[in-house]
Amino acid sequence: MNCPDCKDKLDRFVDRELNNTEVLELQLHLEGCPECSDQYEFQAHLKRLVKHSCDCDAAPAAFREKLRQILT
Amino acid sequence: MAESPARTAFAEEALTHLDTLYRGALRLTRDPDQAQDLVQEAYLRALRYQHSYQTGTNMKAWLFAIMRNLFWDRFKGTRKEDVSLDDVGDFVLFEKLRDEGARPEADVLDRIAASEVVSAVEKLPPLHREVVLLVDVEGFSYKDAAQALGVPIGTVMSRLHRARQQLQRSLYEYAVESGIVRGSTNGATPQ
Ligand SMILES: [Zn+2]
Ligand SMILES: [Zn+2]
Repeated sequence: MNCPDCKDKLDRFVDRELNNTEVLELQLHLEGCPECSDQYEFQAHLKRLVKHSCDCDAAPAAFREKLRQILT
Repeated sequence: MAESPARTAFAEEALTHLDTLYRGALRLTRDPDQAQDLVQEAYLRALRYQHSYQTGTNMKAWLFAIMRNLFWDRFKGTRKEDVSLDDVGDFVLFEKLRDEGARPEADVLDRIAASEVVSAVEKLPPLHREVVLLVDVEGFSYKDAAQALGVPIGTVMSRLHRARQQLQRSLYEYAVESGIVRGSTNGATPQ
């Protein structure tokens, strides 16, 4: 695998959408390529940052209770 | 009103996905009251169309689809340009940071406040915002996201890619404004 191939697959790699063979090929490339490896770290970190920043909002307890009353 | 046990069981299971629906609605409407209205309407509709849910399929994706379709009904008549993202070109925050000698690049991300990330996500056009919510925030597979959005997997991937480009652009602007990074010396900082 070369660098353009690797960059092309990086989205799918961080999203765990590659098949096992593709994952192994990509990991092999990352081990030998600091540039792509840094880019991978960056993208994975960005994905975690988006998740942690947005996933702390839970439905308010009163709203949950109200829905339960209406629906069940 | 006395509800049938089957309906109650269905409602209970549907309510286990409430946080995902509420977060999605909150990010789409950007307003807690509207989010609650939207989610409540979605649940009522879900119970009404309970028969159309196929047992064993992804209920979370099914519920999200109902909620986002209600949201989009309200957007009818909105021009496509306002809800979608032009190809903003490849804006790679990582490479910007590398050019400026910020190493390791990922460390810069640790200095960006969560509230800034939320507002960068909320600034995305809704068609792109919802893909980020499903895949990045809620951890949906491309396949489940495609089901929830009613589009092919390829569309999920291209919207996600553009959304991430735009997100990086917003975060870079914020990082420059707040002095986390120095900013381009060649005057190419997007405004
Ligand atoms: Zn490489
Ligand atoms: Zn984190």
